[in-house]
Formats: sequence, C-alpha cells, structure tokens
Amino acid sequence: MKKLLLFLFVFSITVCINPEKNNAAENLQAMIDSLEEGAVLKLEDKTYEGNIVINKELTLIGKANTVIKGDGTGNVISIKAPNVTLRKLTVTNSGMDRNSPEEYAGIKIHTNGNVVEHIKITDSFHGIYLSQAHDNKISYVEIKGMGKGEIAAQGNGIHVYYANHNLLSNNTIEGTRDGMFFEYGNNNESYENNISGTRYGLHYMYSDENIFKNNTFTMNTGGAAVMNSNRLLLEDNHFIVNYGNQSFGLLLLQANDNQIKNNTFYMNQRGIYIDQATRNTIEGNKISQNQIGIELWASSNEQVFTENLITENTIPAVTIGGTGETNFWSHEGKGNDWGNSFPLTDLNQNGIGDFPITYRSSLYQLIEDQELSYLFLKSPALAIYEKMNSVLMDEKIMFNDPHPLAAAKSKNHFLLIAVIGLAAVLILIKACYRKYYC
Amino acid sequence: MHYIWKEWKENIRGKGLWLALSIIVLISVSILFRSTALSFDKGYYVLLINLFDTIIYFIPILCLFIGAFSIFQEKEQKTLIMLLTKKDSYASFLLRKSLGLYAVVLIPILVWFFLYLLLLKFNFQLDMKAYFIFILAIVTLSLVFLQIGAAIGSFSSSRMQIIGYTIFVWFYFFFLHDFILLSFLPDVTHENVKLFSSLYFLNPLQSVRMFLETGMGVYSFGHMSRLLQAFMWTKPAFFLLFNLVFWLIASIITASVFHRKEGFE
Repeated sequence: MKKLLLFLFVFSITVCINPEKNNAAENLQAMIDSLEEGAVLKLEDKTYEGNIVINKELTLIGKANTVIKGDGTGNVISIKAPNVTLRKLTVTNSGMDRNSPEEYAGIKIHTNGNVVEHIKITDSFHGIYLSQAHDNKISYVEIKGMGKGEIAAQGNGIHVYYANHNLLSNNTIEGTRDGMFFEYGNNNESYENNISGTRYGLHYMYSDENIFKNNTFTMNTGGAAVMNSNRLLLEDNHFIVNYGNQSFGLLLLQANDNQIKNNTFYMNQRGIYIDQATRNTIEGNKISQNQIGIELWASSNEQVFTENLITENTIPAVTIGGTGETNFWSHEGKGNDWGNSFPLTDLNQNGIGDFPITYRSSLYQLIEDQELSYLFLKSPALAIYEKMNSVLMDEKIMFNDPHPLAAAKSKNHFLLIAVIGLAAVLILIKACYRKYYC
Repeated sequence: MHYIWKEWKENIRGKGLWLALSIIVLISVSILFRSTALSFDKGYYVLLINLFDTIIYFIPILCLFIGAFSIFQEKEQKTLIMLLTKKDSYASFLLRKSLGLYAVVLIPILVWFFLYLLLLKFNFQLDMKAYFIFILAIVTLSLVFLQIGAAIGSFSSSRMQIIGYTIFVWFYFFFLHDFILLSFLPDVTHENVKLFSSLYFLNPLQSVRMFLETGMGVYSFGHMSRLLQAFMWTKPAFFLLFNLVFWLIASIITASVFHRKEGFE
C-alpha cells in the first residue's frame, strides 16, 4: 500500500514538473511543427511567444489582435520554406543586438514565393528582411521604427538583399532608418507605398531595373536615394516636404540611364539632386515650391529634362562645380515650363516659347563653398543678393532651355492674396493720412 | 487691468485691429482651400508651413503699425501727459500700455486660430503639439513686433515718421539683415561661426521659422556636419527665447530713452 501511494505521488510530481507536455497546443512553434505540409493554421486573439521558424509550406492567419512577440534575441518569424503565407498578424520585439553576426528582423524571409499581408511590425531592428528571396509579395504591412533621428540603433523598414522579382505594395513605413533598402536587388516592383520619417524613404544600392510607382514620401531626411543603380523607372511618385539640412526629394548618385517620369516634388529642400549621374531622363515631373528645384553637381552629364513644370522654387536650377551646358534641357523640340519667373512670348500659339530661356546665377559659388548657404534659401534677401551680385561677380549659365514650354493659363491664388494684402496696407496708410490732415 | 480695457475700447472703434484680423482670417481660409488636395495625415504640416510662410509677410508690418499708432495716439489725445503727471514714469506706463497691447491684439488672433482648428479638423489628422508650436511661433512674432512698434511710436514726432520708421524696420528684418549676413557668409569659419549664428538668429523671422520647423518635426535635424553643429550651438527654442528677450528689452530701453512727450501739431 505504501509503495502504491509513493508511486502515485512521484507520478503526480512528474506531471506537474513538465506541464508543457500536456499543454502542447499553446506553443506556437510546436503547433507549427505538428502541422502537415500545406496546412492552414488559424490563430486566436492573443499573444503568442516567439521566436518561431517556419520550415514547411503553410498558411498562418491571425485576427485583429493576434500578436507574435519575440524574445528579443533573434528574428521573430523566420521563413525557411517556400510558399508560406502570413496574414493578419502583429509582430514585435526582435533582437536589436548590433554585435550579432546576423541582422535581425521582425520577419526574415529566406525562400521564394511567399506572401506577407496585413502585418504590423514594431520594436524590431529590420521590419521585413528578404535575403536571397525571390518572387515574394509584401503588401499592406505597417512598420514603425524609432523615429527619424535614429540611424545606428535600428534597421530598415523593408530590406531587400540579393533578392529579385519581389512585389512590395500598399505598405506604410514610418520612422525607420531607411524605408525600403535595396541591395543587389533587381527587377523588384514597389507600388503605392507610404514612407515618412526616415533617413531615406527609398534607398537603392547596386540594384538595377526596378520599378517604383505611385509611392509617397513625406518628411524624410531624403525622399529617395538612388546610388549605383541603373535603368530604374520612378513614375507617379510624390516627394513632399523632405526638408532639413542636406535634404532632397530625389538623389541620383552614380545612377545612370534611369527614367524619372510624372513625379511630384513639392516643398523639399532640393527637389532633385544629381551627382555623378549620366543619361537620366527627367520627364513630365512637377517641381514646385522647393528651395532648389534641381541641383546638379560635377560630372553629371547628358541628363535630359523635358516637359517638366518647374515653378515657384526659390532657385529653379543650380549647377555646382561645373557647367550646366553638358545637360539637355529640351528634347525633340520640347523643353520645360518654368512658370512665371521667366517671361515668355508665344506669338504663334504652339505652346512653345519663341526664345530660349537662359538662367545665369552667381549663387553656385556660394552654395559650393559654404554649406550654411542653405539656411538662407527661404529668405527674401536672396533675390536682392543675387541681383546685386549679377553685376559684381562671375555669373555662369545654370541652364539653357532652347524650347521652353509656355505656361497654361491657371489661377494663381497667391498673387490674389498678395494684391489683397497690398490693398489693405494702402487703405491703412490712407486712413492714417486722413487722420493726420484733419 | 484698466489699461487693457482702455486699449480694447480704443481699438474696437479703430480700423487697425479689424484690418489686421481680417487679413489674417482671409489668408488662413485661402490657404485652407488651397490645401484641401493634400493628404489626410501629412497635409496638416504642409498647410501650417505654407500658412506661416504667407502670414509672415503680414504679421510684422501689422503689429508694427498697431503698436506704433497706439502709443502715438496717447500723445495726440494728450492723455500721455495726464498719465505721466501722476508720478508715473514713462517706463512703467510703457510696460502697462504694452501689456494692454498684447492682450488686445493676441486675444482675437488666438480666438481665430482656435476656430481655425475646428475647420482643420474636418480635413486633416490633427497634431495638437504641432499646432501649439505654431501658435507659439505666431505669438512670439507678434510680441516682438508689437514692442518694436511701441518703441517707434514712442520716439516718433509725427505720423509720417511712424510710417517711415515702420517700413524701414520691416525692410531691415526682411531684406537687409539677411543680405548683410549673406555678404559675410563666404568668410564664415569654424572660429567665428558662433558669432555668425548669434547674428543670424537675432532676426526674429529666422528664429521663429527655425523653431517652428524643428518643433513640428518637419525640418530634419540629424546628421549635421561639424560646422552646422557649431552653428546650432543650442536648441532652436533657446534661440527663440533669447531673441524674444533681447528685442523686448532693447525696444523698451529705446522707447524709454528716446521717447517724446508731445508730437508736433
């Protein structure tokens, strides 16, 4: 009898010591391991403990409040099998260690043909990392980082590394290091993404023949940086208020044969910043209310600017460390619309101005020599400074557009405001006069 | 308190305050209409930046005129002499008069921008911190130029002088100050950049702009070079505070020292 009781006691202790064996259904990794290939796993509205590794083809579907929380030491979700689908999850708390041999991510993808949709990612070094992973689809992902000022301590929203033919669409990325970073990634397509509060919204390095359409960049240090990448298509994007010291809407650095079409550059420090870039086509863009519309640095040749609307910028175009005459400001008889700053006649009403527009300026020297010049670009004094220096200093041609486009007749509300303001001030002065002479 | 009430009654019958307020209202509404095409979440910041860039042309000149003529009116109506005979020094009169000016000018502006916030609510996702910073920028700008206007009114002897001085002050801060700095810009080095920075931020327009843009998070202030870091040797909020205190004190001292009791009639 005593032996029987002792046995039962020991057995019950054994059961209590190892509760996981009886509660295997609660462990997400165990659930995944026990699934058959191609299964669908539906998760509940609660927090699951990570980190998990997916090494078989399956579909993981969560609900509005499903959270997968990493233990802070690695990738929260690693995908090591092809054709995995993740949907409706919140992923958080990846490793942030900068000394590790691997850069961690909320979701790291090593395989092809995966789908990641309707995901939220926070508190992770990289949001989504594609490593030699092709033909994946990333869409409706929200990625939130630490904010614009943090560079070293965080990674990119979406990092594409030696990965081709991926589709990234309808994602929202805020406050990461770079919004989307492509490194040796070719033929990727990005549509309708929204990126703000990053160092570079889009960053291409050694990544050719990518397509970037209908995306919006706001309030980044730099909207998009294209470096050592060729034959890209950037179309119908918006670069808005990418503004600060050394900011730009779009940077082309050693980037050749790219097409920049029908984009909007609005209220950036520099709309387009081109350095050591060759044979890019800038066509049909709207570049307005930037401090510098187009900034061309040395060794930038054979750019073609055609059918752009370049208006209301503090400086429409500036060429630094060289001459603006090695780039083409017209193409096939069509130049650019330079707005109201440059008077234009169009007597034969063909939409093209009768005379070339040549813009000379001596500001290039000041901008080249002294970086604090950018602090004065919003000052009304700049126009006076430029006018006075035109007779004193060496001016150079910033651009010469032989076929400028005539401006379409459009309403100018700002002019209306100015006129009303002036009328108001005149009325005020008149009232003072009347009182004075009474 | 009596000064505020007196000031309010004087201005409510005058044209200057209503003219100023109607200009501000008109500009605000116009820019709101212009900005309806902007996105819901970020368009708010674009609108505030555009509104500030436009309103900055009007608030200084309007505040200068209101401040100057308000002080000068005391001389014309002989009330200044009466006030000063009550053993009241000019400095204390000026301080109380200035407080009245602040209250009368800023309260309508604040009321309008509160209503404006309601209009904004329908079009944009609001950020109250950014809006508070915007209001603070407008208030600071108004205070500085009201006080400078009061100084102009104090030492001017005729209305024509007031107009001349006012336009000159406006022209100086808009064009001459930055023009002078631009002329010296090629000579800026690491050794003298702090002095240059102090002179740069002595301009209320630049101080307020920098404060507004960095405070709203629109201006990206990371990754500065060493020269720019030396240029921004303290936070924009401190530059603004220094600017405000400097111009208030300078204006009050100028007004006290150079004031005239009577105008020519």
